[in-house]
Amino acid sequence: MNGMVFAILAATIATVLSGIGSAKGVGSAAQTSMGVLSEDSSMFGKMLVLTLLPGTQGLYGFIVGFIIMISCGILGGNEPTLMQGLGYLAASLAIGFGGMFSGFAQGKAAVAGISMCAKDEKNFSKAMVSVTLVEIYALLAFIVSLLMVISIPGMKI
Amino acid sequence: MKMKSVRIIALKKDRKRILEHIQDSSLVHIRHFDECENGFERVDTSAQLQQFERNAALTEQALKILDRVAPEKKSLLSSFKGRREIEPEEIGKIAASSVKVIGICNKICDLDKQLADSAAERVRIKTALAQLEAWKNLDIPMNTPDTANTAVFLGSLPKGYDNTSLSEALAAAAPDLLFEFEIIFSSSNITCLFLVTPKSQKETADNALRTLGFSRPLNPTSKTPSEKAKRFRKKDGELVRKSEKDLETLKTYARYRESIEDTQDYFVLRSEKYKVISELDQTKNVFILYGYVPEDDCEKLSEICKRAAPDCIIEYEDAEDDAPVKLKNNAFAEPAESIVTMYSPPSKKDVDPTPIMAFFFYFFFGMMFSDAGYGLILIIATTIGLKLLKPDRKMKNNLNLFRYCGVATVIWGLIFGSIFGDAPAVVYTMVTGKAITMQQLLPWPILDTQKDALTIMILSIALGLVHVLAGMCCKFYVCLKSKDYAGAFFDTGLWMTMLIGFAVLGAGIAAGEILIKIGAGIAIVSAVGLVLTQGRDKKGIFGKLFGGLGSLYDITSYISDLLSYSRLLALGLTTGVMAQVFNMLSTLLGTSIPGIIYMIVIFLVGHAITIGLNALGSYVHTMRLQYVEMFSKFYDGGGKPFEPFSLNSKKFKIKNSNDQ
Repeated sequence: MNGMVFAILAATIATVLSGIGSAKGVGSAAQTSMGVLSEDSSMFGKMLVLTLLPGTQGLYGFIVGFIIMISCGILGGNEPTLMQGLGYLAASLAIGFGGMFSGFAQGKAAVAGISMCAKDEKNFSKAMVSVTLVEIYALLAFIVSLLMVISIPGMKI
Repeated sequence: MKMKSVRIIALKKDRKRILEHIQDSSLVHIRHFDECENGFERVDTSAQLQQFERNAALTEQALKILDRVAPEKKSLLSSFKGRREIEPEEIGKIAASSVKVIGICNKICDLDKQLADSAAERVRIKTALAQLEAWKNLDIPMNTPDTANTAVFLGSLPKGYDNTSLSEALAAAAPDLLFEFEIIFSSSNITCLFLVTPKSQKETADNALRTLGFSRPLNPTSKTPSEKAKRFRKKDGELVRKSEKDLETLKTYARYRESIEDTQDYFVLRSEKYKVISELDQTKNVFILYGYVPEDDCEKLSEICKRAAPDCIIEYEDAEDDAPVKLKNNAFAEPAESIVTMYSPPSKKDVDPTPIMAFFFYFFFGMMFSDAGYGLILIIATTIGLKLLKPDRKMKNNLNLFRYCGVATVIWGLIFGSIFGDAPAVVYTMVTGKAITMQQLLPWPILDTQKDALTIMILSIALGLVHVLAGMCCKFYVCLKSKDYAGAFFDTGLWMTMLIGFAVLGAGIAAGEILIKIGAGIAIVSAVGLVLTQGRDKKGIFGKLFGGLGSLYDITSYISDLLSYSRLLALGLTTGVMAQVFNMLSTLLGTSIPGIIYMIVIFLVGHAITIGLNALGSYVHTMRLQYVEMFSKFYDGGGKPFEPFSLNSKKFKIKNSNDQ
């Protein structure tokens, strides 16, 4: 019995959970920005940037999922042992949960940023900076997942 | 840069010329006093000001209307473009044509209002037509009067009836009523009917119908409903034609867009000038202008004023502490001024942090963005922008900022062995079929962000230590300058030696016993020093001791500051990994022709995403490292920015004027 099923589950968790976070974040930001755009469509560029900021978590999750796939025998690499499969599963939890909850939080920050920017366009850079600050926690989760995932094929477990 | 406060005294007849020259040169930050000096008075220019502002608002409105009906095609790059240069004489032409342009703006606004009125009228007609729809089968006028013997009722009941049910309802309401009726229209909730009764029974019929909820039409006319509807339709058609014509006329006005924009600038400039005039202290014959001017520009200012008005008097004095601040840096540091100003301009007590911050800004940005290919794109894009667009000073600085960042990015990219991720290796593998890593491909030793992550983490924190120490050195210098020796040596110096001690100790763990001992020694001596000195403001021996011990707790804030630099690794790693993943994705379909097309598309899109996300992340997090980790050590800010009285126009600038 090898760990293939767990590796697949790991790729799924990494991609889906962080995707949920991003989807919810971008979704609520998009709703607010459309409200602003209905008043003044010339702000589209700025609104787009603020709306997309919570979208990176999904991308991080996808990258981790993709790396699992290319190293566990789905798109290349060797089939993992049972323990390696479980290792993938454990590693994917970091970006899964980190991405999901930071996506929620960044979505809320983006909504506030959009409202601020709607009042005065000059606030755009401040809004952008503040919203990006949430990003670091998704990034840290991603790094942790990533470093574990790329070192699992070399582990003798 | 050192500021001088300046006082210009001149004859009133030269007022206009002097102010115009000062505005052109943008050298002077004008001071505004609430109170007028004794013996002087102020001129009330509010009437003219209002006039100018109204005109500026009118042009703004007209431009908005034009943007709506005839949008201007704008390229993405146009927002980077500098203002158009015009000859000094041209401003006279703009002034001369301003009356005409204002007339055009008025016409534009009128036409727009007419369009809006027509649209509203059409809505009214539509509602009226909808109401008439129910009556279209009636072939007599809506206000048909009673005849000699019969009373006529035309109106609606709020319920659906057919012939039988209506007869029954009427009979129930008034048993002995004689009537004849015709149902014109009936639906589930309305019945339009025409009813006649003998004139003698008019009262009875009226009462009976009222109990059923009868109501007469709101505005009956002497036309039949179908005729009336025809009229409405005709009027609607006329309105549509008129609106179309108005819209066409409106669109032809788009050719005036440029002159309207110029006129708007002209009125904004004039209203600014009049605002300054209203703040000048004046007597019957002379006026005084107070302001600040950078020391280096004093001569230039004198020359300009003398040229404008030979008999004016200019006096300079050293500026007080609350003078506005103008930063002056060399070409390397100047682009980073905007980063400092975004935080807060330096106050009189601060040193200008721009030079030292500029270096670390480029350096850290490069480490986070860390890809030679992306850095090259930044350099090329900003260089093209600088060459082609001739941007204003502010935009020029921003482009230069990213150009320097690009250079740092290329350097770090080469150190990390990342050129569009591992694109060269991927291409090599595709062509030859042999697997290869970037390390094997590049002739110099590289730090692989994934394999050597721990090394880079340590490097990041070491660089962070250098950054923090640089900030503390600034604090040391500031304290010495203000003769606060205790602050310099005890508060700052001891912490610096403490941090250095820990650094040596850390190096010792890798290098050997002796360094550990030296490092620990330095750290312990510094700690003892801190305990002895940090409580010096407290009363009593115990107060001093506990104050000193408590201050050691600050070590946590230094540790968290240093750990914060791990984001250098995090962002650098993310850039590399994202680039590699997109490279990998792009090669999935192999080397067939569709595969190559797919590869090119994914490669371009993927790297565009990576550049966008990571450039933004690197910019923000570099800024955070400067603001939170470094500035907190020594920089207070809170100065006033130097805002010279200048041509604050959007579209044009006058040639040869000193553009600051």
